[in-house]
Amino acid sequence: MNFDFNDDENRLFENVRAIAAAAPAEEALAGQSVDAVSRTLRDILKQLAEIGYLQLGFGNNAQADAVPLMKAMETLAGQARSLFLAVEMSTRVLARAMAHWATEEQKERWLQGLLAGESIGALALSENTMNVENDPLQTLGVRKGGRVLVSGSKNYVVNGSLADRIGVVGMLDGRPALFMVDRRVSGLTVSDRIRTMGYDGLHLAALDLHDCDLPEENVILPPENAGVLDLLRMWENEVLLAAALGMMQASLAEARDFAKSHRSGGKPVIAYQEVGFKLSEMLTLHQTAQLFAYRAVWTMATQPKEGASLIWCAKVFGTEAAERVAGEALRILAGQGYRSGSAAESAYRAAKWTQISGISTEIARVRIGDHALGYR
Amino acid sequence: MDFAFSREQVMFKKEVIRFAKKEIVPRVQEHDLKGEFDFTSFRKMGDFGILGLHFPEELGGGGADVLTTVLAGEALGEAGVDGGLTLAYGAHSFLCADTIFRHGTDIQRKHYIPKLASGQWIGCMGLSEPDAGSDVASMSTTATRQGDSYVLNGTKMWITNGPIADVAVVYAKTDPDQQHAGISAFIVDKGTPGFSAGPPLIKMGVRTSKTSELVLNNCAIPADNLLGNEGEGFLMAMQTVEWDRSALLAPFVGSTTYLVKKCADYAKGRVQFGKPIGHFQAIKRKLADMRIFGEAARALVYRIAWCKDQGRPLNHLEAAVAKLFIGDWSLPVTNDAVTLHGGYGYTHEFDVERIFRDTRLAPIGGGTSEVQKMIISRLM
Ligand SMILES: Cc1cc2nc3c(=O)[nH]c(=O)nc-3n(C[C@H](O)[C@H](O)[C@H](O)COP(=O)(O)OP(=O)(O)OC[C@H]3O[C@@H](n4cnc5c(N)ncnc54)[C@H](O)[C@@H]3O)c2cc1C
Repeated sequence: MNFDFNDDENRLFENVRAIAAAAPAEEALAGQSVDAVSRTLRDILKQLAEIGYLQLGFGNNAQADAVPLMKAMETLAGQARSLFLAVEMSTRVLARAMAHWATEEQKERWLQGLLAGESIGALALSENTMNVENDPLQTLGVRKGGRVLVSGSKNYVVNGSLADRIGVVGMLDGRPALFMVDRRVSGLTVSDRIRTMGYDGLHLAALDLHDCDLPEENVILPPENAGVLDLLRMWENEVLLAAALGMMQASLAEARDFAKSHRSGGKPVIAYQEVGFKLSEMLTLHQTAQLFAYRAVWTMATQPKEGASLIWCAKVFGTEAAERVAGEALRILAGQGYRSGSAAESAYRAAKWTQISGISTEIARVRIGDHALGYR
Repeated sequence: MDFAFSREQVMFKKEVIRFAKKEIVPRVQEHDLKGEFDFTSFRKMGDFGILGLHFPEELGGGGADVLTTVLAGEALGEAGVDGGLTLAYGAHSFLCADTIFRHGTDIQRKHYIPKLASGQWIGCMGLSEPDAGSDVASMSTTATRQGDSYVLNGTKMWITNGPIADVAVVYAKTDPDQQHAGISAFIVDKGTPGFSAGPPLIKMGVRTSKTSELVLNNCAIPADNLLGNEGEGFLMAMQTVEWDRSALLAPFVGSTTYLVKKCADYAKGRVQFGKPIGHFQAIKRKLADMRIFGEAARALVYRIAWCKDQGRPLNHLEAAVAKLFIGDWSLPVTNDAVTLHGGYGYTHEFDVERIFRDTRLAPIGGGTSEVQKMIISRLM
């Protein structure tokens, strides 16, 4: 057992922090056009590739990278909320899927660009609802003379309108496959940006695919029984968990600094138990969620069988804690926090996404319960 | 960062679970009902090596590190050992014996530790008083130097193992004009004239541990019984906090694992509306919340143990976080376990009601949740 990060890891976190701190704020991104956000995203991807962040968790070091990666993601998410999710759906979800299941030629074509920060990726998994647990995937690929025609509808696709490469998850030959779709391919319609409650700088879109004609080389076909949907959700869960940690970190820091400097009745408001005790509860939730996340990803990397249910547990705990911490921060910050642009206000709105996206907290609880009961 | 235990640690934990299930657990409910301390189990814990696990072998201990000691505590909870016995163990091995081991002279160590490690003697620790609990620095018990003796006067309150202890570590003020800096620690043996324990208190939970007042009425003890130097008592008490936040919290973590299994077994067998209640999502949710709490708490406790093994000074913020989280979050979980069992859960037939009562101490003993929040908000 070891609870310390080493010097190299700490240096990496510092580098990530510096990049994140220089990134545009959420409210600045909110009003930007697709092209402007795309430029910002490409810029940050390049910087993150240069410091080795994008490559974390790939290659031979995946196991050793698991915990530092979670910490590094938390660091980025704490300061650059929407950009973090955009970066990670491209890297830790789509690129990971490629690293697992793509052929060497496919990796050369797409993975290298993603990990070098040269292209933006997206994963299109959700369909009519965000839940792919109960309903079979409707998106279908049909083989036709050495090519594949893909049809279906996808929803809530992060980077949907920005991505150069979209991994569309659907069925081919009776099993899940990833169809690598170029943004400009004929038959693909990308919706306008979906307006959302939180994640002001995130570009979510719906996709409609109507007989999108792809060469067979654009199909990534994982082996049978690869647990494709579960793994994709698992990687997404890790990202969302890191996002939640980042939100807690930002809300807590904002509320703490305010409580120490803002005076009321002749003393800093932290001196009032109602405020000081709230901050203590927030810090407790943050530290607990943080260690829980580290242990969960470590277990996932070393003992995947036990790790999966631990990630669900950590995701439920972390994402619910994020909403609570942001909510308490808002009460401490009072009017200051209620203004648009405060970290807590933006985290409060964004936290909901982390609970409903990936495996939802409801479905996760059912699964965890089933696991305890030996039903799965 | 990594969370691996050694093979030996994993094996040892399994052995403790096996031992406790066979030798202790079968008698737990009966002792709880009667409100009796289980002397037999306590001695068996001594024979097995749990009571003195972290002391050096030459003093009758097991020479184990803190993490292994924490795992033993977790294993007791996981096996289904009650909170009364684990509390008695904690007060004995850590609050009393460890303080003597750390701060006593060689002669004192050789005199007390082997007997405490084996369970031949039982130890207790008297810090709290009727009017000084959270605000322990305002204690009024005094120790006055008179020649080669100290004369102790005052009353200690809520003392685990008080009525059955052979030896007590007692905190008293050698300088009543001072707060923390006036506190010193002493060894007081059972049978010392002027030293007595009140009758056991009747409690809601942890009923198998005996709790009482300790009365010191012109109790003269040899001056050599002072641990360390005058004025160092408060620091010594704070050093036991490391144990309190690791080994004493570990049984709560283990107990949650026990609860999840117990509740799942019940939910699989209990049929309502034509199917096992485990098929209802509301029941799965309760099980999920139990597991989530237990898993969330685990690393908090391991972190404190690991830091102690590295010889690092206690991080008071991290310690308070562990105590606050486990204290506050364990209650809804045990509450759910009772509800999940329906009417049966409310009876003594199932031990979930006992676990619910035992766990109620978590946000009170060893510093209330409010005190933890005071510590955290000051340190942040
Ligand atoms: C079963 C049991 C076993 C115990 N074993 C031992 C033992 O072996 N040795 C020993 O020395 N002690 C022991 N204790 C004592 C225990 O540590 C104290 O009960 C605890 O520290 C609280 O003190 P108190 O009971 O005097 O409550 P109080 O300090 O009177 O607190 C009452 C309430 O007020 C709150 N409060 C107090 N101060 C503040 C503040 N500043 N701000 C906000 N809220 C505040 C508290 O959180 C609590 O809710 C034991 C207690 C129990 C119940």
